Amino acid sequence: MKLLTRRALVIMVLALAVISGLLIFTVRYLGEASRWVQHSANRHLYTNGQLKAAGTIYDRNGEVLMQTVDGTVHYHENQAVRAALMHAVGDPNGNVVTGARVVWGKRLAGWNLLQGAYRFNQRLNHFSSDIKMTLDAELCAVAYNALNGRKGAVGVYNYKTGEILCMVSTPTFDPRHPPDIDKEPERYEGVYINRFLSAAYTPGSVFKLVTAAAAIDNLENIDSLVFQCSGRTVIDGEVVNCPTAHGKVGFEKALAKSCNVAFAQIALAVGADALQTYADKAGFNSCLEVNGIKTRVGQVDVKDARRPDLAWAGIGQYKNTANPLNFMVYMGAIANDGVRIEPKLIKDSLFLRLVRSAASKERVLSPETAMRLGSMMRNNVISSYGEGQYRGLELCAKSGTAEVGGNRMPHAWFAGYMEREDCPLAFVVVVENGGGGSRVAGPVAQKVLQAALNRYTGE
Amino acid sequence: MDALFTSLQRLLDMTAARWANITMFFSSLSTIGFADIYTLFVRWVFPLLAVGILVRCILPLLRNQGYNRIWGYLEVPGNIKIPIRHWENSLGRSKLSDIVVNLPFVSRNHAVLAYHRDYWTITDLGSKGGVSINGQKIESNGEVHAGDTISLGGAEFRLLAAEEVNDDFAATQGRTRFSRLGEGITPGKTLLLLILFQVLGAFQLYYTMPEETRLTILLTVLVLIAVECLYYIIAFHCSRKYLELELLAFFLCGLNLLVVAADVPNQLLKQLIAIIMGLVIFVILQLIIRDMERARKLKYILAAGALVLLAANLVFGEVRFGGRNWINLGLITFQPMEFVKVAFVLAGTATLDRLLTTRNITAFIAFAGTCIGALIIMRDLGTAVVFFGVFLVIAFMRSGDLRTIAYALSAAVLGALAAITLMPYVASRFEAWGNVWQFANTIGYQQTRTMIAAASGGLLGVGGGNGYLVNIPAADTDLVFGILCEEWGLIVALAAVLMVVFFSLFAFFLVRGCKSAFYAIAASGTATIYLIQTALNVFGSVDLLPLTGITLPFVSNGGSSMVASWALLAFIKAADSRSRAHTHESGRLI
Repeated sequence: MKLLTRRALVIMVLALAVISGLLIFTVRYLGEASRWVQHSANRHLYTNGQLKAAGTIYDRNGEVLMQTVDGTVHYHENQAVRAALMHAVGDPNGNVVTGARVVWGKRLAGWNLLQGAYRFNQRLNHFSSDIKMTLDAELCAVAYNALNGRKGAVGVYNYKTGEILCMVSTPTFDPRHPPDIDKEPERYEGVYINRFLSAAYTPGSVFKLVTAAAAIDNLENIDSLVFQCSGRTVIDGEVVNCPTAHGKVGFEKALAKSCNVAFAQIALAVGADALQTYADKAGFNSCLEVNGIKTRVGQVDVKDARRPDLAWAGIGQYKNTANPLNFMVYMGAIANDGVRIEPKLIKDSLFLRLVRSAASKERVLSPETAMRLGSMMRNNVISSYGEGQYRGLELCAKSGTAEVGGNRMPHAWFAGYMEREDCPLAFVVVVENGGGGSRVAGPVAQKVLQAALNRYTGE
Repeated sequence: MDALFTSLQRLLDMTAARWANITMFFSSLSTIGFADIYTLFVRWVFPLLAVGILVRCILPLLRNQGYNRIWGYLEVPGNIKIPIRHWENSLGRSKLSDIVVNLPFVSRNHAVLAYHRDYWTITDLGSKGGVSINGQKIESNGEVHAGDTISLGGAEFRLLAAEEVNDDFAATQGRTRFSRLGEGITPGKTLLLLILFQVLGAFQLYYTMPEETRLTILLTVLVLIAVECLYYIIAFHCSRKYLELELLAFFLCGLNLLVVAADVPNQLLKQLIAIIMGLVIFVILQLIIRDMERARKLKYILAAGALVLLAANLVFGEVRFGGRNWINLGLITFQPMEFVKVAFVLAGTATLDRLLTTRNITAFIAFAGTCIGALIIMRDLGTAVVFFGVFLVIAFMRSGDLRTIAYALSAAVLGALAAITLMPYVASRFEAWGNVWQFANTIGYQQTRTMIAAASGGLLGVGGGNGYLVNIPAADTDLVFGILCEEWGLIVALAAVLMVVFFSLFAFFLVRGCKSAFYAIAASGTATIYLIQTALNVFGSVDLLPLTGITLPFVSNGGSSMVASWALLAFIKAADSRSRAHTHESGRLI
């Protein structure tokens, strides 16, 4: 029998093959069942291709953003709110892949791994299928109106809790009446992309906040340095220029005036390694996740850059790209004494609020550096952008006018935060090919922040 | 950390969801029927019971490996007694001999010593030194009795009878590392769990199925439970064998009835009769092959019967679902190939002396060729694959020749390629394979619907009778795994498949302790059939393999398939010659 015992191993091999097949199926099941279940032929969830019932999406104040009643989808009654939140909620056809309808589709459909599509008494369990977002529908509508048809993105989040209050991307449309995108390709260019989460733009001068952070920590004599700006400087035969000659400028004034000549020299003094380190700390070259949604990675790579390229990189040009959300979170880190709070779009349950507080923090700057940057950003507003326009906001900000080449207008950036304990908000505004940063993007930020202040403090 | 929080949150959500369900239940009592509440709770019980039954059956079967009874001794000078543990024992210099005689003048495979109740035979395997009994040189084989002296080319042994038969030996000796695990598990309690599962399942369908079928469902399951209890009580008193194998099969039969009840309730009676017939044949077949002589006769009778069935099928066969594999006898229709499987496994068997003397398996090859050829003519390619797989395994078990197997395999691959190119029906199956979502409404229809149904069930299932997969044609046979997943949950479905796989694993463990090569090969053949059918059925329906119309043993709807599954199980049962221990616990009925 020893002989047959050995030969019978072939049975063992077959049995193991079947068992591993079962394992493969189980792994696939765990990974893909949520996708399988959402096929429109699934009669547990769909009748005639329409969801029988789905969870409701609410904003932070309980406004209904989307709900399904008897197989029909209903949106918010206000047109501006619908358009402003189209990217956050998702479009009817699921083309916005970062929209709640796609990302949390299985939850909305009432499916989970344990329970499957089981419905007690044929009814959807709204407790587990509803979604409460951190967004403020009104605030998003304000941002949408402020953009006034221009392409771009607006984001506002609470830098103490991480809750994103405003997330608007344009172009957009009213999901209740989807337009024929193909008829107006120019107007609806990239309409399904949530630019706030998934776009990367040349940052321009807002990137000086990264260069400045590197300078504060690496150049001991930074406060005593004085730069002579004649409107242009030559580095290894290549010209870096400023819109106007700023004359003699110190570090703080260089940031307030956004002097390219000064910052080109600062970048060279800091060096490629330090600049790369601080760019990485600021969130470049790494992916940030918002409730599982991966955002676009902003890129900075100066490790092997030539000196003129390093100078251009230090003022946010060269090959640098920035994702609006990532940059907003950097602003939040500066505001929050150098500690970055993970942003989120879904309201946490009470339990998670208790345990999360310790888990999602990360220090990216020392408190001193953050404080110094903050005071310089405050100075920017007072001395350059005009405190009068932003009265009461206690605004700290930096503008950016990112050259994009060709004959196109530069991207307008405006990013920063409000230094108010009762309204701790950081923000970013990008207007594509909008023109000058503080002139074009500044007023958008002003309208949104003023509205937020009104809503949350009554001022 | 984050993953931990997410899972904690999910847990809380679930608890909250449960709570919400309960509050909802109180707030709108009027609209909720008892059926809803029943399903709400029992769907948590089924996975627990299924896993419990699986574990409780597996552990005792693995408890003491191999067979420990001693049939006699070979005494060598110096008063050393070598125990003879099998009915068939090879003697020789080879390390793979059952009794290794490491002397230079003994051949590698010298002789086979076989037990025949009141005498022994010794067969010379063509050794150089020859074999003699009491000094008399034998030609090919000769009878040996206790007290006789055997000489293998000069090495002398004296055959001694075994001492008093000691039944407790099995319980106390030869324990393996699994032995502790199985302790304290009594088959009676497992049977109670099994009955609980079937009763709860029957009531689940009672509440969800249309009025007119309800009584049939309850009665059918009730009869099944009665049969199970009756069999258990008789078997417990009449046999000292382990009963877990039958318990697993009963569990699968219960699932089978639940699936049939949800899909085609009017076939319940037919299926119940098939289960009882299967059980009867299972018992009779065991009784017949207990005696080696009878088994050998049966082998030829069945092989001849199989050829007749094949011919009849080719002449009178009816076409159903693309294959001409049905015979209609007016009152009953059946699939003859299911029964040919049983004959096929038996035809491949051989005793150890035959196995070691004649490497010639021409007759078996011819028989296999006939069967597979007939299947191809009938366009039943799935079954052809099953037969071919069993043929390969049995041929390997008998010859140990890898090269021949490799030739056969490459020939089969060429044949398969030819089939794909020549038969459009087969080609479309291969085209869909791996891309079913692209063809979700055409050639990938069945597979995608199975996966959708499986996903909809989650781990717990939506409850028996609440599924939609039953509306797909032939779902109760080909897509039965999907029905299990959808209605009873992934856990129950996986447990069911693992039970079938375990039959095969168990067969593998039995080979070492088999009395005769005959049983070892028959058990291995059965194991192979179960495994290949399981793989083709389950993996075919979820797109890991091309879809074929093969049944899942015991679980798929189909009378012929059910009877054949039971008949094949008899071969595994026959190979298990161990007996239950006389310990206090396992001596009780429940």
